[in-house]
Amino acid sequence: MARDGSLFAYILTRMFLAIPMLLILLTAVFVILRVLPGDPVLALWGGRSPPPSAIEAARHELGLDQPIAVQYLTYLRKIFTGDFGVSIGGTYTGQSVWSLISGRFPATVEIAIGGMLVASLVGIPLGVLAGAHRDKPVDLAVRIFGTIIWVIPIFWLGLVLQLIFGVWLRWLPANGRWSGADVPCTAPSSCQVRTGMYTVDSLIERNPAHFVNAVAHLLLPSLTLGLVLSGFFAKTVRANMLRTISADFTEAARARGVPGRAVVYKHAFKNALVPVVTVLGLQFAILFAGAVLTEKTFSIEGIGILLLNAVTSKDMSVIQGVVVFYATIIVVISLVIDVIGAMIDPRIRL
Amino acid sequence: MLIVLVVILVIALIAVSAYALIPKPAASKIPIQLWYNNSNHYGSTEVAVALALQNSLSTCGRFQITLKSDIWTVYKENWVNQRMPMFLLGWYPDYFDTDDYISPFMGIAGAKSEGSFYNNSQVDQWVRDEASTSDPNVRADRFTKIQAALAEDVPYVPLFSAPAQAVYVNGVQNVELHPVSFKWFIINKPGATQLNASTSDHIINLDPASAYDFMSIEVINQVFDTLLVYDAKNTTLLPGLAMEVPSRANGGISADGLTYTFHLRSGVTFSDGTALNSSVVKRSIDRVMRLNLDGSAAFLLYDVGALRADHLPGDSAPGVIDTPDATTVVFHLFSPVSFFNQLMAFSVSAPVPWTYNQNGLQPSTAGSVIGTGPYVLTTHVPDQLVVLDKNLAYYNPNLYQSEGIGPIPKMDRVVINIKSTDAALKQDIETKAVDVAFRTISPVDLADLEDRQASLGLTVKHGSSPQIRFLVFNVNLVPNKAVRQAIAYAVDRGAINSLVFLGQATPLYSMIPPDLPYASPVFQSKYGDAQCAASNALLLSLGVAFELQAEIVAVARDR
Repeated sequence: MARDGSLFAYILTRMFLAIPMLLILLTAVFVILRVLPGDPVLALWGGRSPPPSAIEAARHELGLDQPIAVQYLTYLRKIFTGDFGVSIGGTYTGQSVWSLISGRFPATVEIAIGGMLVASLVGIPLGVLAGAHRDKPVDLAVRIFGTIIWVIPIFWLGLVLQLIFGVWLRWLPANGRWSGADVPCTAPSSCQVRTGMYTVDSLIERNPAHFVNAVAHLLLPSLTLGLVLSGFFAKTVRANMLRTISADFTEAARARGVPGRAVVYKHAFKNALVPVVTVLGLQFAILFAGAVLTEKTFSIEGIGILLLNAVTSKDMSVIQGVVVFYATIIVVISLVIDVIGAMIDPRIRL
Repeated sequence: MLIVLVVILVIALIAVSAYALIPKPAASKIPIQLWYNNSNHYGSTEVAVALALQNSLSTCGRFQITLKSDIWTVYKENWVNQRMPMFLLGWYPDYFDTDDYISPFMGIAGAKSEGSFYNNSQVDQWVRDEASTSDPNVRADRFTKIQAALAEDVPYVPLFSAPAQAVYVNGVQNVELHPVSFKWFIINKPGATQLNASTSDHIINLDPASAYDFMSIEVINQVFDTLLVYDAKNTTLLPGLAMEVPSRANGGISADGLTYTFHLRSGVTFSDGTALNSSVVKRSIDRVMRLNLDGSAAFLLYDVGALRADHLPGDSAPGVIDTPDATTVVFHLFSPVSFFNQLMAFSVSAPVPWTYNQNGLQPSTAGSVIGTGPYVLTTHVPDQLVVLDKNLAYYNPNLYQSEGIGPIPKMDRVVINIKSTDAALKQDIETKAVDVAFRTISPVDLADLEDRQASLGLTVKHGSSPQIRFLVFNVNLVPNKAVRQAIAYAVDRGAINSLVFLGQATPLYSMIPPDLPYASPVFQSKYGDAQCAASNALLLSLGVAFELQAEIVAVARDR
């Protein structure tokens, strides 16, 4: 289909491949959730036990008294019509799954972007520096930093940062997304568009104090997530720098008298970034699924905590909804990365 | 020489065979599983409670306790399907009456649903007797007998009352750890108009027809008033939307206990300006029973509250909830319910405006949550923030005047931040990012804050909580009463309290907490704590070790 090298045909092929991928995933989630032990309906009432009539009514209401095939078809129909249903777990009983996801996704996006920014700003320069000074003390230092920071448990780093900057020094809020009652864009007609991302919403409101409030809360979780990832980023960039620095084209550049600094930063670094962008892009996509430990440590209600709570209460609707949502994001981002890759390097779509 | 060797070998073989054929003595330890839930359904201390209990039972030397755990959904299925011989459970009352600590456990139907499968028709009759009368003499007699049966048959071992605590910045006033509901509307911070608070509890939804968890009900109690309300500090019922508490003396309760009459105050309005009248009260109760929302407390009205003859969900039959005029509501019950007044003080009975969704859940967003209480919900960011603003039309500001608590609500605004972890709660109060931290700081963090409260400028307040924790025996899986009694002897509540709760919990010796009427510490007088000698003597005198081991092995094989 894509043998003619057409970018459009390549995109179409990739999109069609995404459909069976999603379908397999949906089926797997449906089967796994129903095979696992535990009765979500019984657990709805916590430690109490209502009369059997109430439990039967709940089963009927949730369609759990239907044959499994009917449940499966209903499930697929609802997913493909955008109806994610309502929560059937003890934590979010009766709430719309879509509103649960959409209400928490902005928080996850904010820390994902914040984390990626920190990771990129710290990791990429360090990787370049290490690559450019192979086996020198700076390279050794970056490698040690990369290894240590990558293996530090993220919740431990978060707790240490909270303790130092939040509790001892009190420079930054120790947890949460907001201080005060005036959450951006919640007052009637304060914003025409509301994203749920407090940094963006405060800009829409044109309220600098709100923006500072939002960013202050974002700093520690972003640092936590970003510093840990920066180790991985530094190592990835370094490895690719070493590959490109010893490549023929950089040798040729040197032979033609291009200054060493220009060789490293203009030629080697630029080419090293191509595979790095792919890896970092996927890492970014993974962060969208929710950095559970970071969210938990900093008490940020994002997708990670939503999924965690849904799993512990066997909330089938929410688990299904989050997995479908997450899978769609991964598929879309993979597609975008592939397309960008194909645009940069035509050999990919051959 | 060879013959000698052969003879020795033959003798040795015979000796070994004979040894193998000799019956072995009974194993010295009784194996039994102790289950707990591992999804923090009762907080982060659950594993520690199970370990402390395991240790106290094992210390006696006759029990071999194996710890088992599962997430809450599986855990509940396990007890319904009789897969757990011994497990940890907790209870928080729905209505503040002694019955709510007895009928769900000792009645036949209740015991089945709570997993003990205790089945004693005489006790069941006593439970029905106490539930259907308000005669204190009859109730005292029945509760005494029931508690005696509890101690004798040991379907449950009461362990401790979970502690309640709040930490607040010095200067904040009226932080009362009320046994039923924490009243944010009486808390005062002199010189300020806004009170900031944090909790690690969660709100599920704010529709009285659905909410059946602590924090949701907590917020509902600030926004909605009920016909009857609780005193600021204790569990005495006071008139709320009703003008008086029905009793036989004032004619509010009929002689047969089947009719309850409530006279509503005139001129009360919801925060949206619509009027409260008897039709609204009836419509609200019918809405709860008809919708019967999943996970809700609707059954407390149509089943426990005897408002339906068939005990099934649905509107009340004509005449059951009578509204002879705009300010009178008469409930005609199908059987006497001695705690019906308490049910009318529970959030599920809170009147909601005429405009509330009659076909399903009312949204929990600001503007959709409309009550008659002291506060109005003005912001709700799910799992993050609740903002309560003063209800300017509140009908009952002098409710607690006689107790020295001036006009309520005390503050113009209360902001409740919802945190994901106990640690975040501690950080918030330690850094004074908030004025009050309530539910739930871990015992270790609480002890730390208590040690440093003077330097931090904080006050740590402890109080008893109506929540009880206990051990459940499935009497079908552990049918030998002596074994259950032996475990009751061996339990060491002091060790659990000191090791897990750092002395902050209260040991419990009956399923009825000591603050409630008719409570009698029957387990203290009969079994005490950590009585290993008595436990072992009981087992040995009955020779149950071998027998029980066979039973438990059989149970394990059946599974």
